[in-house]
Amino acid sequence: MAASWKQLFFQILLLFICCGRINTETTGSTPAPLVPTTPLSTDVKSVVLTGESHTENIELLNPVNLSLECTWTGNPIKLPNITGFWRKDGNEIQNSHLTVQLENNQYNIKQVFSIVSEKDLGNYSCVFGNEVKVDFILAAPQITEVRDKPIVSYVGDFVVIECKMDKTKPMPSTWNWYRDNGTEKVQIMAAAEPGRYEIKNNEWETKLRVHNLTEADRGLYYCGAVYAIGTTMGQVKLKVITFLEPLKPFVTIVGEVIILVAAILLYERSQSKQTDRAAFPGRVENADENSTQTQSEDKGNEDSSSMRQRKI
Amino acid sequence: MSPVPADELGHKPLDGGWGWMVVFGAHISIGFAYSTPKAISIFFNEIQEELGASYSEIAWVSSIMLAVMYAGGPVSSVLVKRFGSRPVVIMGGLMCGVSMVTASFGSSIIYLYLCIGIIGGCGLSFNLNASLTIISKYFLAKRPLANGLAMAGSPVFLCFLAPLNQYLLGTFGWRGSLLILGGLMLNCCVAGALMRPAITSCELSSATQKKVEQRNTDVKGRCRKNARKFLNFSFFKDRGFIIYIIGNVMFIFGAYAPIVFLSAYAISQGVEKYSAAYLLSIMGFVDMFVRPGTGLVANSKWIRPRIQYFFSFAMVFNGTVHLLCPLVKSYTSLVVYAVFSGVGFGMVFALIFECLMDLMGNQRFPSAVGLVTIIECFPMLLGPPVAGLLVDIFGDYKYLFFMCGSVVVTGGLFLFIMNIYHYHMLNKEKAAKDRQQNHNIEIQEHACTSEAEIERTEPEAAEMNRA
Repeated sequence: MAASWKQLFFQILLLFICCGRINTETTGSTPAPLVPTTPLSTDVKSVVLTGESHTENIELLNPVNLSLECTWTGNPIKLPNITGFWRKDGNEIQNSHLTVQLENNQYNIKQVFSIVSEKDLGNYSCVFGNEVKVDFILAAPQITEVRDKPIVSYVGDFVVIECKMDKTKPMPSTWNWYRDNGTEKVQIMAAAEPGRYEIKNNEWETKLRVHNLTEADRGLYYCGAVYAIGTTMGQVKLKVITFLEPLKPFVTIVGEVIILVAAILLYERSQSKQTDRAAFPGRVENADENSTQTQSEDKGNEDSSSMRQRKI
Repeated sequence: MSPVPADELGHKPLDGGWGWMVVFGAHISIGFAYSTPKAISIFFNEIQEELGASYSEIAWVSSIMLAVMYAGGPVSSVLVKRFGSRPVVIMGGLMCGVSMVTASFGSSIIYLYLCIGIIGGCGLSFNLNASLTIISKYFLAKRPLANGLAMAGSPVFLCFLAPLNQYLLGTFGWRGSLLILGGLMLNCCVAGALMRPAITSCELSSATQKKVEQRNTDVKGRCRKNARKFLNFSFFKDRGFIIYIIGNVMFIFGAYAPIVFLSAYAISQGVEKYSAAYLLSIMGFVDMFVRPGTGLVANSKWIRPRIQYFFSFAMVFNGTVHLLCPLVKSYTSLVVYAVFSGVGFGMVFALIFECLMDLMGNQRFPSAVGLVTIIECFPMLLGPPVAGLLVDIFGDYKYLFFMCGSVVVTGGLFLFIMNIYHYHMLNKEKAAKDRQQNHNIEIQEHACTSEAEIERTEPEAAEMNRA
């Protein structure tokens, strides 16, 4: 943390010194960002383009002088000269137009950018002609393990919101938590409200505990992994509901269960009453039939006698 | 070929009519019983974060629930024999509902162990045992089909509960979801209400004649005595029962681990996370249709007498599929593996209790199933951890599949061979009994004729004496 502050102070000093000199553009190839002579490391990233376009993700931790190189070999029409320029986040960088010569069947553009702070990060593109381009996406390590679904919690309860950085990526120097209050992100200071907020930082992960939730606590929370170059944010949505909300479907289901059980048992009662009513005359009928059967062998009037019984 | 022990009273089960409503009730009840321990694992991530527990601590909730569900078998057998299925299932449904509702207020992991694990597990154990028992009371001729339909509840409910739980989690959080899940489990009480008590040989029916009444009191006395026995160890003298238990223990030991580790294996083979989870849904989906299908096939007059052999075939099939899994690497072949695995699993589970009913008969089934479930508790809890240990030691999933597949195949072959022996011995014993009976009849006839001769000769002798 202290080292980067030193570097920044040094650069600001240099800026004041050089400001007077770099006022008029000398050649079209010098871009607007200044090239400090401070101990910034230099890194080179080059891409060979064969097709229409390419995207390269570059992860940065610390301020650096980044040299971006684009080589294009895929042009069917081998013009001797084409124009090339650089874009940052879609906007053309001032005075970055160049005329590129065809050498060894390829076009080559190179530019050095000084990446010192968060605003220098973004999407740098080198463009050949008008359409062919290579995108260099400069960013601090992104937080991959963060919830995409909202966390649901209850009024009066507490909630734990967690953010994790992939262990394969560099460790952040610290973590910060922010809350969106509608217009901007406000940092949550756990020390200011110890009863409410609790932040536990643990190298690659951070946990925010919010106690005594109220409905006002709902909304977006951001965890920020702080690196020298900048802070990457992860977003988590918190929903706070009262206990009545799940209670409504619960009561409906319990009601449905009671109704069904009562219906089934009543149906069974009525069915058994019917069979009892049918069974009673049936039992008398049975006995009579037995007696008549023994007699009917002589009488041979079985049908008529049993029919007589059924009429009862 | 297979001896289907008839009831003592020889009363004819309904085999239809209200029986199908009972099957529906059993379907719901068994569905909740088997799918709940798996379905609540969806909440574990959230609960873990809030209660600050590690993943293995949270996973114990499911394991305790399953263990209690299986270990509670003997207790619920006793209750079912004493009170009948209906009150027990209603009680089970209430216990499950209460367990989930109280768990939703939980603030420590031990509290969850108690509520979901123990109370919930007890409730589920009542549900399972009582549902199986009542099917055996209502069906005989169509019993394999009824069993297949009822056991199909497990994959159906899993397919239904898994996305529902995801939705509930996103809308209400884990506390609200547990509350609503508790309400849903009260539907087991509805299932219990459907389980109208069947007229069994342990009850007096009003229209019996005197001779039958006499036999009834003898049977009733025996019934009461059996009901009081907590763990009926006399089953261990039954050859068929021992064979069944050994085969089953081997199956359960090897059956669950491949399912638990399938997604991990797929991910290790380079399959993407969501596609790997999809494999399990495919397995469950196939299982849903295979169970009633197997019940239908087992009901045919060709297979029904040989159902124990069909069961051992299903086991061998399941084991073979697991043995072949390490040979497949691509996603398509993993899907094919999942389909066949689902088929094998469904076939075995459709028949697992039907075969026990076939062996034990109506009267002994409730206590037998209690004993079987408590014994199966151990391989079920040991299987996946031992398989996981193999993966940790060798660093390769193929040994897991080899071990599980070979154990299951051995179990199936064991059942097949031992059943041949068992039936051979039964036939011999039956032939011996028949011979003994014939011999007794001959002696009786001989005694009768000799008595008749004495009767005839006595008056002659008397006359001769008088004369």
